[in-house]
Amino acid sequence: MTARFKLLLALTLLIGLLPTGALLAAAEKPTDAGTPSFRRDVMPILFRAGCNSGTCHGSARGKDGFMLSLFGYDPKGDYYRITEDIVGRRVNVAVPEESLLLLKATGKVPHTGGELFTKDSVYYRRLLAWIEAGARDDAGPVPEPVEIRLVPERLIFQGARRREQTQVLARFSDGSTRDVTQLARFFSNNPTTAQIDKDGRVEAGKRGDTFVFARFNRFTIGSEVIVLPDESNYRWTNPPASNYIDKLVYERLQMLHLLPSELCDDATFLRRAYLDLAGALPTVEQYQKFMADTSSQKRTALVDELLASDAFTDVWTGLWAESLRLMGGGYGPTATDVKAAQAYYDWIHEQIARNRPLDEFVARQITASGSNLTDGPVNLYTMLVHSPKFTPKSFAADFSQLFTGVQIQCAECHNHPFDRWTMDDYYGFVSIFTGMKRKIGSEPRESYIYNDLSAPPARHLVDDRPMPARVLGGQQAIAAGKDPRSALAAWLASPTNELFSRNLANRIWAHHMGRGLVEPLDDMRVSNPPTNKPLLDALAGHLVDSKFNLRSLVREICTSRVYQLSAEPNATNLGDDRQFSRARLRRLRADVVLDAIGQATGIDRGFPLFPPGTKAIQYYPRTSGSTEQPTAGDAFLETFGRSKRGSICSCETKPEPTLSQVLHLMVGGTIQGEVGSCTLVPQLLAAKAQPAEIIEQLYIRTLSRKPEPGELSDMLRLVNSAPRDRKAYDDIFWSLLNSTEFLFNH
Amino acid sequence: MPPRSDIAMKFSRAVLGVGLMLVLASSASAADKAPITYDEHIRPIFRQHCFKCHGEDEQKADLNLSLFAAVVKGGSTGQVLVPGRPSGSLLFEAITQDDPAARMPPNSPPLAAEKIELVRLWIEQGLRESAGSRSMAAARDLSFRPAADVASRPVGPPPMPGQIAAVEIPATRRPLPIVALATSPWAPLAAVAAHQHVRLFNTDTRQPIGALAFPEGEPFVLRFSRDGRLLLAAGGKPVQAGKAVLLDVQTGKRRAEIGDEIDAVLAADLSPDQQLVALGGSGRVVKVYSTLDGSLKYKLTRHTDWITAIAFSPDGKRLATADRAGGIHLWDAASGGILLSLAEHTSAVRALAWRGDNRLLASGGEDGKLILWDANDGWPTSTMPSPHAPQRAPGTYGKLPSGVLSIEFAADGRFASSGRDRKVRLWDASGRALLAFDCAALPTKVAFAHDGRTLIAGDASGEVHFWPIAPGPAAKK
Repeated sequence: MTARFKLLLALTLLIGLLPTGALLAAAEKPTDAGTPSFRRDVMPILFRAGCNSGTCHGSARGKDGFMLSLFGYDPKGDYYRITEDIVGRRVNVAVPEESLLLLKATGKVPHTGGELFTKDSVYYRRLLAWIEAGARDDAGPVPEPVEIRLVPERLIFQGARRREQTQVLARFSDGSTRDVTQLARFFSNNPTTAQIDKDGRVEAGKRGDTFVFARFNRFTIGSEVIVLPDESNYRWTNPPASNYIDKLVYERLQMLHLLPSELCDDATFLRRAYLDLAGALPTVEQYQKFMADTSSQKRTALVDELLASDAFTDVWTGLWAESLRLMGGGYGPTATDVKAAQAYYDWIHEQIARNRPLDEFVARQITASGSNLTDGPVNLYTMLVHSPKFTPKSFAADFSQLFTGVQIQCAECHNHPFDRWTMDDYYGFVSIFTGMKRKIGSEPRESYIYNDLSAPPARHLVDDRPMPARVLGGQQAIAAGKDPRSALAAWLASPTNELFSRNLANRIWAHHMGRGLVEPLDDMRVSNPPTNKPLLDALAGHLVDSKFNLRSLVREICTSRVYQLSAEPNATNLGDDRQFSRARLRRLRADVVLDAIGQATGIDRGFPLFPPGTKAIQYYPRTSGSTEQPTAGDAFLETFGRSKRGSICSCETKPEPTLSQVLHLMVGGTIQGEVGSCTLVPQLLAAKAQPAEIIEQLYIRTLSRKPEPGELSDMLRLVNSAPRDRKAYDDIFWSLLNSTEFLFNH
Repeated sequence: MPPRSDIAMKFSRAVLGVGLMLVLASSASAADKAPITYDEHIRPIFRQHCFKCHGEDEQKADLNLSLFAAVVKGGSTGQVLVPGRPSGSLLFEAITQDDPAARMPPNSPPLAAEKIELVRLWIEQGLRESAGSRSMAAARDLSFRPAADVASRPVGPPPMPGQIAAVEIPATRRPLPIVALATSPWAPLAAVAAHQHVRLFNTDTRQPIGALAFPEGEPFVLRFSRDGRLLLAAGGKPVQAGKAVLLDVQTGKRRAEIGDEIDAVLAADLSPDQQLVALGGSGRVVKVYSTLDGSLKYKLTRHTDWITAIAFSPDGKRLATADRAGGIHLWDAASGGILLSLAEHTSAVRALAWRGDNRLLASGGEDGKLILWDANDGWPTSTMPSPHAPQRAPGTYGKLPSGVLSIEFAADGRFASSGRDRKVRLWDASGRALLAFDCAALPTKVAFAHDGRTLIAGDASGEVHFWPIAPGPAAKK
């Protein structure tokens, strides 16, 4: 255990054990004193009691005839609906305790939501006092919460101690701090590991790590909970570390009492690296060469070789094309003609080939203006959202989801319920794009994309205010008169903007490790924290330090020991699927499967409308019609879950195995036909190769390894009756292509 | 947006020649000019924006906008224009859609505001083909015919409270907002809602003269019978119980108890012959009870939201009911059969009021509109778009509550309204603004004293306001 880690652990345990009150002596406790304020006292009670939650009166159309703004984003409107909409019904200033608001909340009259609090609660007393004072709105601005804290920030449970009280502190714009534990709402990301009750008491469950969260006003904040097993025979085995990635993963594993699996063997590493970095299997020659190499640096050398290959460029061009929803069509109004798609594809390919810094790669697209046919990167504005008309709201939401991992579209209608984003953030961000326009070019397929700086900004849904353009979370509006996209590009790539670098780092990590540090990849929010924050920060930091060098970060990942671990679990990490203590079994991407089959059989499958020799990873959907409808473009790719590019969601790519995939491989045309017409076995037979030799070739071509002695003897028995007949070999070939070992990266 | 103009201007200009033809042009400047015609104003607009798909060469949806006769005929879905009524015309709806996907012309910015206004005026003025054409909008005479209901004046001295028993007034922290207010048609008497009772005022002296008990809860509705002898009080306790009671104005005695609802009654009325009480609330159903035996005569189930207003016509033949979603229906009061559905409000209707001659129904709601309907065919003869819109503070945006909360007609045909601008407004029979009064609190209800010489309002702070006003034209004669 490192000294630094010991100290960290000791500190967190200490904080965890301290009576929380001692830390918080400065915080003002809630009191019954004074006339309650609508915004400061009444609104938080409606929130805490759940009145304005999405399933109750906070739903878009309200509930049982009474509507409140979801989680209270519109206090003015809520005041109106409670007191003025139907005068005399919901609050009764003449006889306050007869107010429907109170009778409903205490369950004294029929209420779908039942009893939310009792008459002797502080909530009841405060609401009653407010109505007794005339149920008035606040005369002027009231202090707004500017930040909340949940203490302790980390809770570690081991042994007999199973419960702990948390506390929520809110800091207000007037500088005051208030204990709002009684007004907050709590939830756990994994109640099996830790539950948190409505008063903020945490109870440990099964071994694991998760987060519990408190919400107050528009803020959400989490504390980590670690529940350790009771056994005390855990001993860290001090495995070697290649770089900081290993160190940071190990620190996490130690904290959770996990041990990493062993290093994988060379053949497994070779196959894994080829599939991840080149989207292909190693050839027999590449296999022989690597296995024969005795250098201790041969794994690193292989990574470097693959990073420099054209195949690496193809893999990342394909990944970007998929994320950017690159598709070619033949329908004029969407401006997504095949010619435009090819221009975009070629441009992306060139940037990846040149290893252009990713920040510049994105900035160039953001600030692009010009023809969709000749200026590839402008197609960000035709393809991210496929529609006959540029729609700033959809575009802004999709842009944010892809490039920052943040889903801001919730904030179109209400403040984000589980993150920091407000409607102000959303509409300010939309305003960056409200001037984007298309005009018809010199031929029907052509559109000119430009930004009309005179276009008015977006307007706030609640009060119709014009919202000047702002970057996400920006305090200042972007200066008017200049193209706001330049400011957006500068902000996105700024070293201080964690949103962009963390998002890219997470996506690059996920491609190689089979899982993001944040999952889903495009749902980064306060309430969905990374499973290893220091690691995500370090990877993002490396991107920034390396000037957003894609290959440099991939090299860091692939040369780490963590990347090279075996998938074989040990006694401690069988249950781990988020801390990278062993390699994940991953079904190959749809395009990689198709290419791998082609590679193993030596048959070029080809794609209509694309030149011969086009690999599946180079293929993007082309149609003669509109690109508004999602399409994978190819039945095999669709079956194996390749993104249909119907939306920006990372979930468009479906990694899970399905029955139809199995059936397709067993009885569909792809393998049946290609094994039959594959010339490999006849060639080997003609060259008088021995049966064992042929079987070994088939194994290496498909599984990138030699058969085990037991496997070999079994196979030989199959061919013994007719060792010069291709039929039995074809059956073996077929079986190998149908094996899960072939279909998985392991 | 069409330019907003004073409703009074609109009406004064609309009074043309013999009879009173309510031709409604809401733009004073446009109404000054020659009428809008298809040939001169509209065809050029259609030619520029519509002929590509709806012209001689192509007729999408079988609609040809290049020939006047074809325009009037409409397309595959029927007529696209209703003479005199832009809000009911599919074509107008199509060019003013907010949703770009549904708007015409497709994939284009909306038509310029001036062009939309020309189309609107053209429809409103009755689809004239050329300067020589006649308006296709029906000419209607809706002038007020006073004395139509004088017949219901009771014989003898007007009924006033006599020796009514004192009722126990429950102590309250502050007054109940005045959720209901009614005046006797013949006596200087006003009834005002209060917690578990009804306060009575003499409208001449403005002094309280007694109280009637309503232990059922809050009286959300108060109505005098047409002869002034009975007071209908309806209400209850929200989400607990609702009821309507008939009280004898002179003795204070209960004459009937009607309904046994599970929520407070929010809207109710007593038929002029005193045979029926219609009531409704959060249940979305209007129930019509017999006052003789309390039996349920019929239910009206067409409303889709809470019932907010109910009013029998003065002749008792028709029943108007309204809901929180903006729907208004007219029923045959005897059978409960549907007569007309008046679909123009886009938000909760708060008030319904019949003019004494049975020919005009007024409605007001949270969409800010005050609409005067021809009760015979349900035609919105006049829409005051926002008579109670509050003044906007500089630098503020968005929709301000501008709802019309209460409307009452005086016997002389004038009417008064109150709204969310915290003003009570008095209008003459043709809708010309006469006076406006300010209230510190939200004026929830308005009423006229029986002689039309006092305007009365109740507000959300529980205060009753009395304003002397000049008598109406009928009384002057």
